[in-house]
Amino acid sequence: MAAGTATRIYPFMPGGAADGIKLVSGAVVLSDLTASPRFGLKGCGSAAWLAAQGIPLPAVNRIGKHHGMQVLRLGNEDILLLAEGVGETLAEVKTAWHAATAPKGYSSWREEGWAWLRLSGPRLAEAMNGLCALDLRPEKFGPDDIAQTRVGHIEAVTFRSPAGFDILFDITASAYFARSVAAVATHIDQHNA
Amino acid sequence: MKLLTCPMNGPRNIDEFQSFGPVRARPDPNATADPEWSRHLFRAENRQGVVVEWWRHVPSNYFFLAERDLVSNEIIRTFDASEPRGRA
Repeated sequence: MAAGTATRIYPFMPGGAADGIKLVSGAVVLSDLTASPRFGLKGCGSAAWLAAQGIPLPAVNRIGKHHGMQVLRLGNEDILLLAEGVGETLAEVKTAWHAATAPKGYSSWREEGWAWLRLSGPRLAEAMNGLCALDLRPEKFGPDDIAQTRVGHIEAVTFRSPAGFDILFDITASAYFARSVAAVATHIDQHNA
Repeated sequence: MKLLTCPMNGPRNIDEFQSFGPVRARPDPNATADPEWSRHLFRAENRQGVVVEWWRHVPSNYFFLAERDLVSNEIIRTFDASEPRGRA
């Protein structure tokens, strides 16, 4: 890499820590969104600063929307902005945050610390049933709900996406998580063969 | 499966939680003799009754309090640390 360039290599990319680990596809599909833009703020002043920018904050463990971004309230002062396809909007927020004076919370480095994977496919419900102990049926777990729990035996944040479930977790567990999902997918295939 | 109800996240499998021990008064550094410090730091209570303990829901990193019966191991209630502690 040339000096001065700052290119992030995420785990499933060539040269990444999980390079070579296959993401399952078929009855269960796992896709990698880790390179998609996101920005997390945490700590005293985070909520007030975001609210002052006109970003409406939902209740804890709920998801709000703002200019195409998803606003995930993970705690009173722990908020995550997901900007799939609207990176410019998020870039404006980040620029404003960097220029602002404290109190404004601190960056929780979710773009570096967390992996972002999406689980979908015709056997999605069975797969989530095997990965997570919570009742995630639509009547119990709506599109604006967040579950902070365990998925595939690791601590994770999960919520519904139009295609299935999005899962955020410690980026260092990327390969492990992909293998956990692959094991569940294989089990489902064997029982439906 | 044993369940514990997190005040923020609802009922969850107990293995999502980490115990941080009983809520205890902190000795006054200016008025506490060495034997009392030693007792505070190294000796655990072993009594019957109800204890108020710190617990953490690990996936959300949320700390809260739980009242637990030390004999039956029943969790009597869980609540946010900002709420009155009653027996603590």
